[in-house]
Amino acid sequence: MSDATSKRRFSPGTTIDDLKAYMGPFAARLGYKFNTDEDFVAMVLEGEIEVLDRDGDVYCPCRMRTGDPKEDLKIVCPCIPFYTDQFSAMSKCWCGLFIRTDVEDGSTLHGVIEAPDGPVDVRVAATGDLADGQGRVVAVGKRKLALFRVDGEFFCLENVCKHLWAPLGEGYLDGHFVMCPWHGWRYDVRTGTTDHPDADVRTFAVTVLGGEVFVRI
Amino acid sequence: MATKVYALSTCPYCKMARKYLEENSVSFDVVEVDMLTGSEREEAVSEVKRLSGGTSFPVIEVDGEVIVGFNKPKMQKLLHL
Repeated sequence: MSDATSKRRFSPGTTIDDLKAYMGPFAARLGYKFNTDEDFVAMVLEGEIEVLDRDGDVYCPCRMRTGDPKEDLKIVCPCIPFYTDQFSAMSKCWCGLFIRTDVEDGSTLHGVIEAPDGPVDVRVAATGDLADGQGRVVAVGKRKLALFRVDGEFFCLENVCKHLWAPLGEGYLDGHFVMCPWHGWRYDVRTGTTDHPDADVRTFAVTVLGGEVFVRI
Repeated sequence: MATKVYALSTCPYCKMARKYLEENSVSFDVVEVDMLTGSEREEAVSEVKRLSGGTSFPVIEVDGEVIVGFNKPKMQKLLHL
């Protein structure tokens, strides 16, 4: 592990308080803070200090380094910049060491760690919230998506028409096509495609479980 | 019922998972992958990758079923707790 020692950011004898002082402001700039459960925070940071002493940087204590420096950078704590979509939607980082600054009680946001690096399913609506032929804008963390219901099936698109960035979720549905509310650009809600060149929008997988609609991001 | 926990010595969720199993009197084997060396380590890492598709811990194997992370509901279900 000699590659890491030359660029060591922490001196030997680094404490939990040192890590907090270093990471806190960094996380705050990204809209996150330490979990309010202090015992949990201490437990994670103790693990990180063991890793720091052994490997020369605060790699995730729950993951193994690959040996590829570029890949391993993604598991240096806090890993927030690499997973902003998922964390924003979950209100926490993978392990729950950090939670979004608007969360008051983080004690329920740890205990289960999702399989890191994978997509996450986020509940966006109940099936009854939309009638057939209806769309709406839904919030996933700080991001807005467009959700549509056609013949009992749900579809999710990016909420931005590529013409002038109008909210597609407020558009009008005609079968499987949504018309942009501003200038009528037409998108297929199944594929995100449009007749206009280079203007397709992203689609998001939707699952329905027990009357709840989940979007995968 | 055979239960095996692949863990890292530094990982808080591995500790939580092991504690949870102990509290529920589940007998299990532990492999602390980061404490192994040489070919033993390589074998353990490739087994973790095969089971979980990644190198995130803990990876818990219960009679051929795999749980990634400390997922209490899943553990309760597979171990009938």
